[in-house]
Order: sequence, then C-alpha cells, then structure tokens
Amino acid sequence: MNRIVSIRELSKIYGAGETEVRALDKVSLDIESGEFLALMGPSGSGKSTLLHIIAGIDRPTEGECQVQGVDVAQLNESELADWRNQNVGFIFQTFNLIPVLTAAENVELPLLLTGLATARRREMVATALDLVGLSDRSRHLPGQLSGGQEQRVAIARAIVTDPSLIVADEPTGNLDAHSAEGVLEILRALSCEVQKTVIMVTHDPRAASQGTRSLHLEKGRLLPELRDQRSAL
Amino acid sequence: MSLGGFILKNALRNKRRSFLTAGSVAISMFLFVTLQVALREMTIPPEDVSASLRIAVRNKISLANTLPARQLPAISRLPGVAVITPFTFFGGKFKDDDSLGFAQFGVDPEKFLRLFGEAKIPADQLAEWKKTRDSCIVGKDTAKRYGLKIGDRVTLVGTIFPVDLELKIAGIYEGTIDDTNMWFHHKYLDEAMNNWGKVGMWWLKAENAGVVPDLLRRINAEFASTSAEVRAETERAFQMSFVSMWGNISLLINSICTVVVFTLALVTASTMSMAIRERFRELAVLKALGFRRRQLVACILAESLGLALAGALIGVGGAAILFSSGKFSFFPVFELTPRIAGLAFLIGGLLGVIAMLAPARSVSRMSVVQGLKTLD
Repeated sequence: MNRIVSIRELSKIYGAGETEVRALDKVSLDIESGEFLALMGPSGSGKSTLLHIIAGIDRPTEGECQVQGVDVAQLNESELADWRNQNVGFIFQTFNLIPVLTAAENVELPLLLTGLATARRREMVATALDLVGLSDRSRHLPGQLSGGQEQRVAIARAIVTDPSLIVADEPTGNLDAHSAEGVLEILRALSCEVQKTVIMVTHDPRAASQGTRSLHLEKGRLLPELRDQRSAL
Repeated sequence: MSLGGFILKNALRNKRRSFLTAGSVAISMFLFVTLQVALREMTIPPEDVSASLRIAVRNKISLANTLPARQLPAISRLPGVAVITPFTFFGGKFKDDDSLGFAQFGVDPEKFLRLFGEAKIPADQLAEWKKTRDSCIVGKDTAKRYGLKIGDRVTLVGTIFPVDLELKIAGIYEGTIDDTNMWFHHKYLDEAMNNWGKVGMWWLKAENAGVVPDLLRRINAEFASTSAEVRAETERAFQMSFVSMWGNISLLINSICTVVVFTLALVTASTMSMAIRERFRELAVLKALGFRRRQLVACILAESLGLALAGALIGVGGAAILFSSGKFSFFPVFELTPRIAGLAFLIGGLLGVIAMLAPARSVSRMSVVQGLKTLD
C-alpha cells in the first residue's frame, strides 16, 4: 500500500495568551491509500480540525501535513483550490447541496472548473450518480430528495472528479439508521473496491466500525489506535 | 450546466427579491432618463446654420410684455437685417385638450420660410397658406397626433387673447427641431383683435454672422428710452434666458438624479449583501470544491451586474418605447439620445459593481472552515 497522508508533529492553535486553545497537539499520523479511516472523539477533540487540514481547507500552526507527497500548508490559496479540486472529495454532515441546482447539476459543479467538454462532464456525472444508485433522480432538486438521497448526491459530487482522497465530516449525522447504512456502504465500497482513501469523522461507533481503522482524538492528541477493526469484528 | 447557467440560477433563486431589485433599478433608471431627456430638451442649443443668424427681439421688461407694431420699419431699415417677422404666441386651446398640446404663433407667412429655412413644406401648400388670410400650417407631429388633414378647419380657443381663431389647415410642414407648432397669419390675429397694433416679439435674420453683434447693439439702442425698450439677443441666448425663467433647473434635476442614484446604490448594495450572506455556507462549499476566490467574486459580480443591467435595460427600454410613441408632447422632441441611454447603462453597471463590493470582500476574506460554520 502507498502512503497517501503523512502527518508529523502537527499542531493547530487558536487564539493567543490566556485565550489560547490547542485544537491539535503534535499529532503524527500516516494513512495508506485505500484506507477507510474513522476519526472519533468527543466534541472539541480536534478531529474536524485534523480533517480540515488534511483536506487543505485549514492550515496548521506547526508541523507538516503531506498528502500524496505535497505539503499542503506550503501551497498558496489558488494552488490549494486547484489541488482540492483535483485530489479531494468532500462530504458534509448537512449535505451542502445547492438548492437551486438539480442533483446532476450539483454533481457537475466541481467539473465546471476542469475545462472538460459538456458531453464528457455529463458522462462523468451520469457515472457518479449511477455509482450511488441515483440515476433516476438526476433531474430532482435537493428539496425533492430524502436526506439519504441528498447525501448520496453529495457523495457523487465528491467522487465525480475521481479524487484519491475523500473526506467525510459526520456523513451520517443527519440520517436515519437505514439511510446511514446505505451511505456507509457506499463509502466502504469506494475504499475496498476502487481503492479510494476515505477519512471519516464520526461520533457514531457503529459508523466507525465500518472503517478499516479507527483513531481517537482527545484534547487534540491521538490515542493509541485499533488496527483493522472491521476484520477484527 | 455552464457557469453562466449557474450564475443565472443563483440570481433568480429568490425570484421576488430579484424582481424587486431589478424593478427598483428599472424605475430609477426610467426616472433618471426622463429627467435627463427633459433637461436636454430644455437646454439644447439650436444647431442649424440659420439659428446662428436668427435674432429674437422682445420687450426688455419681460417676455409677457408686448411690443408696438410700429417698431417694424425702424428695425427693418437697420443695416444687416435680411428679413423680419412679427412673432406672437397665441396660446390657444384646441378641442378638449386642457394642456396646450401645441404652440401656435402668428407670423408673416411671406417671411416665414426665409427665417425658418429648415421647415420643409410643399410649394402648393405654402402658396395656399400665403394667399389665404385665415389659414395656417401645422407641424407633422401635431397633424399626426390630432389626425389633422389639409383642408380641415380648426378652432383655437383663446386663453391669453380674448378671441378664438378659426383656421383652415393649408399645409403640413416638417424638418424643424420642433414639428409640433402651428403658424398662422399675424394679420389675422391683428384683425380679430380689432387692429391690435402690437406683437409678442420680433424675429429677424441677419445677413451674415459677422453683423450679428453690431445688429444686436443697434436694435437695443434704437428703442432705448422709449416706452417699449427692447432686448435683442441671439436665438441661443434667448432660449437660455427662457430656460433661466425656470430657475436653476439644471442643478435641480441633476441633484434629483444624484439622490436617486445614491439611494438606489444603498438599496441595491443592501439587497446584494443580504443575498450573499444567506449563501455564505454554499460559497464556502464552492471554495472547498476548488473554486478560487476570484472565480467566486466574478460569479457575484456577474450576478449583481446582471440584475442591475437587466433593471437598466427595462427602465431605459421602457423610456425609449414610451418616448418614441409620441405621448410626451410637452417637449418638442422628447428624444432619448444614445449618450443618455449609455449614461443610464453606465450608472446601472456601476450600481452593480458598487452593490457587489461589500459581499465580494466578505467572501474573499471568508475561510472555508469559517463559511461552513455559518448557520443557514
């Protein structure tokens, strides 16, 4: 397996002086390609901050975060935007679909930046929607979809550019058990079958149990990990 | 979906707000254009060659005071005078038109075309007018507006003069800056007023531009210290003094326009800020997906410009259609010039840019994480 994420002595400090908050405290971590990593921990433990730094939407105060050999902290804002577009797929707890765009148009959004021809974009959108089982909902607006379907559209949007890394922040947090199971199944399949690296932040132990590895953060520090939890169960 | 389609969908996501924003720009631009056109109509200088030679002679006290008809020979014999005609505003009402739908003037038909050479009228119609004392000629715009034809008889009810005039239409002219006026024999008015012996003004034409300054001085001097002192001035100077009777209308109109545009800028900026603030989280998501800061700013600019220019298009287009329909005959030529239309679009565009400045700044400074934390 190739190492896709390499983190060394990573710290993130908010504020200064008396109001200083150390969200991450010298975290070191390696993530292999094709892993389905679950990041767990109580609120304020720093798991979302770690996810944001790996995904290139936040910058560390100290330390190094290399993703596919690129030190993301060293990229300027424009380079980082391009890098995210090509390498990272985002899945959010609240789906974050654009309400005035259809499912297909939402999925197409990241492709608008690629310069691909319209026909090719449509083809890629159709494939992504097909992968999440929503081909028949491509013309529906988000308001016409269930929560589970919305999250699957968000997954299609995350994978449409074929990124190597997918970050999911509480992807099942707003879903019922049945829908959550469907979403986790897709994420698991992306990891196992197409070798995408999935990093998922979750509070839910059942969701975390679907990953190949779980890491626990507390007060900004990583706790000793359980390896290959899924196979152990 | 194209990026343009995405911007359009965003711009129209709250249709009521988009409609009201574009509508407020449209109404304001309509008002702006109307005021500017009116200002232009009131202050436009005559541009034809004849106008530079024409001189208006009025009572020194005010335009409302008349002049004795006996001044004619004294002015006519001054060196440099090519032609002179009495010129009296009748101000009659036509039909049930409460407003003075068109101006009527008593002149000398023999001199009329020599003075106002830009008027085009068929020779037979001119001849008929000259030979028939109770006839008149009317501008094509007024003829069209009231459906008047050659041979029709019209009655002008006097509002300034205690007489009504019954006139036969001998001809229809066109080609002047104001094709709405009616011209009739001054002698006919004189007779109707029982040999009145007065005129409203004298209009004359100088032989050449070189003699104009001297002629003005001579005319003024000719009647100095008489019971009817005159003020002679060029057509342009006369027009500007006429406008000055309105007070500093230019300052007033431009002040109103400035207030309208400033108020509109505040309203539009506030609306755009609200529209963008509601979408902060979505814009953060777009940033996360790889949209660059300048791409997001461009999207906001396009949306803001689109709404403002759509409003300007409706306002200016509406004004153009309305003014070209001839419903605004208060002014002789209510013309929406390319310069005024261009200015309105420029202001519309600037409004769009100004309105997006604050939201664009917020979006530029927003981090993805901060934006994602924004509540819907």
